[in-house]
Amino acid sequence: MALISEKDARYLQKVFSEQLKDPVKILIFVDDKSECEYCDLTEQVLQELSSIDSKLEMYVYHVKRDKQIVDQYKIGMAPAIVLLDKEGNDSRIRFYGIPSGHEFSSLIQDIISVSTGKPSFFNAEQIEKIRSIDSPVRIKVFVTPTCPYCPKAVLMAHSAALVNSNIIAEMIEANEFPEMSMNYGVSSVPHTFINDKHDFVGAYPENAFIQELFKAVGDD
Amino acid sequence: MLFDVGLKGEIKDHYDVVTVGGGPAALGAAVYAKRAGLSVLVIEKTLEGGQLNLTTYIDNYLGFSSIEGQELARRMKEHAESLGTEFLNAQATKIIVEDEKRIVRTEEGRLISAGVIMIATGADPRKLGVAGERELTAKGISYCATCDGYFFKDKDVAVVGGGDTAINDALYLAKIARSVTIIHRRDKLRAVKILQDKAFSNEKIKFEFNKVVEEFVGSKKLEEVILKDTKTGQLSRLKFDGVFIAIGLMPNSELVNGIVELDESGYIITDESMQTSVPRIYAIGDVRKKNTRQIITAVADGAIAAMHAVEHYFS
Repeated sequence: MALISEKDARYLQKVFSEQLKDPVKILIFVDDKSECEYCDLTEQVLQELSSIDSKLEMYVYHVKRDKQIVDQYKIGMAPAIVLLDKEGNDSRIRFYGIPSGHEFSSLIQDIISVSTGKPSFFNAEQIEKIRSIDSPVRIKVFVTPTCPYCPKAVLMAHSAALVNSNIIAEMIEANEFPEMSMNYGVSSVPHTFINDKHDFVGAYPENAFIQELFKAVGDD
Repeated sequence: MLFDVGLKGEIKDHYDVVTVGGGPAALGAAVYAKRAGLSVLVIEKTLEGGQLNLTTYIDNYLGFSSIEGQELARRMKEHAESLGTEFLNAQATKIIVEDEKRIVRTEEGRLISAGVIMIATGADPRKLGVAGERELTAKGISYCATCDGYFFKDKDVAVVGGGDTAINDALYLAKIARSVTIIHRRDKLRAVKILQDKAFSNEKIKFEFNKVVEEFVGSKKLEEVILKDTKTGQLSRLKFDGVFIAIGLMPNSELVNGIVELDESGYIITDESMQTSVPRIYAIGDVRKKNTRQIITAVADGAIAAMHAVEHYFS
């Protein structure tokens, strides 16, 4: 049975045909079924998604067997999704866990961003500010699929990654990685961690987010 | 919201109507003002639709026998957007009144002048204001059951409150958690009967009547709740993994405190056209002093304010 309904597929077809510019490569990292409850489902939904528009190319890797590429993108868990631009450059946008519920919209939005090179958030001035960060930054955004504020927090972090090659931004679906969520003390979402030490709960407006980013970088 | 592409045009320096807040009241006002030919900017700090986004199902908005809150929010935004309403994602920090001029200042220092300003900042979940609440928020204490419910799968949670929202939350959480205890300060619930019946017949839901929360206890995360019996004064300690607080709302009127007239609870006082004590500043939706706070009345407030503004300031 199709995970994406016919109606949604038609809608996406229209959105993609109107908004996609360059091809996007979607890498998905899966594990054995016994190890990963949602890997099959993630692979299936992305298969369906990438069949909607010929600009979307999907590549499937095994998180344990395809060691070289796993290391290249520093993938730690499965399922994971990485988006690359037409030349194969890493967008540094990561999804850990199935992008279902509200997070499906984040994935669609991110695909369009990578295709057009335009981040979902930030104006020229804000982008310039984010680009001035010259040390490695890793942003984790813990979410649940039923959280309406979460896509905003995710797209904010992903937008920052898209405009600065020092930043990697990861969405983490908290239910699928309960141990990690517990270790980070996550029980309300969206919960964003920058370089694992600076954190805040909630979806912040653009400038407030940038402030948090600089607070975290300033701590280094 | 599913396919909100988020592309934004440049924000201009002046609009006929600027709403601060983007819930049903603001979107209702936007629809009426746009159709009258005015330019409209909606300034929203988090997510258009406001509290709609926190409600799982809405069963009392006319025309929809049952609709998800987030879906209704998405449709309202789309409706306003299709007419040319512009949106700005920012926090308004100041309202400036100079003679006829009305200006909104945002956190990043942007100044937007307006023919009229509509304060539609709504209300936020009210806090209990007891020891441990602030420290343990997001560490076991939550104000959004749909957001955070899944962190308490097969665990023991409590809901504080006895109104519609509290009982709705309890019913939602009962699908996820091992047990749900409703803590209520009175001896009966205030929620509508249809919800009460559902709660009383749900075997996962327990009740602690005539109890108030005295303190939340926990070091790294919430461990215990100390309850006080309102009749006997006796204290008891109960262990919960999570507590969801749903005891009503607090108006977000800080922005206009000292500018327009507020009542003793902080709600903005308006006339029947929704205008505040300052001309060209309206207050609509939950932030306004009124008896009924429902989606349908919020939308109506927006329509009334927009039509009044059109007639008095733009014709």
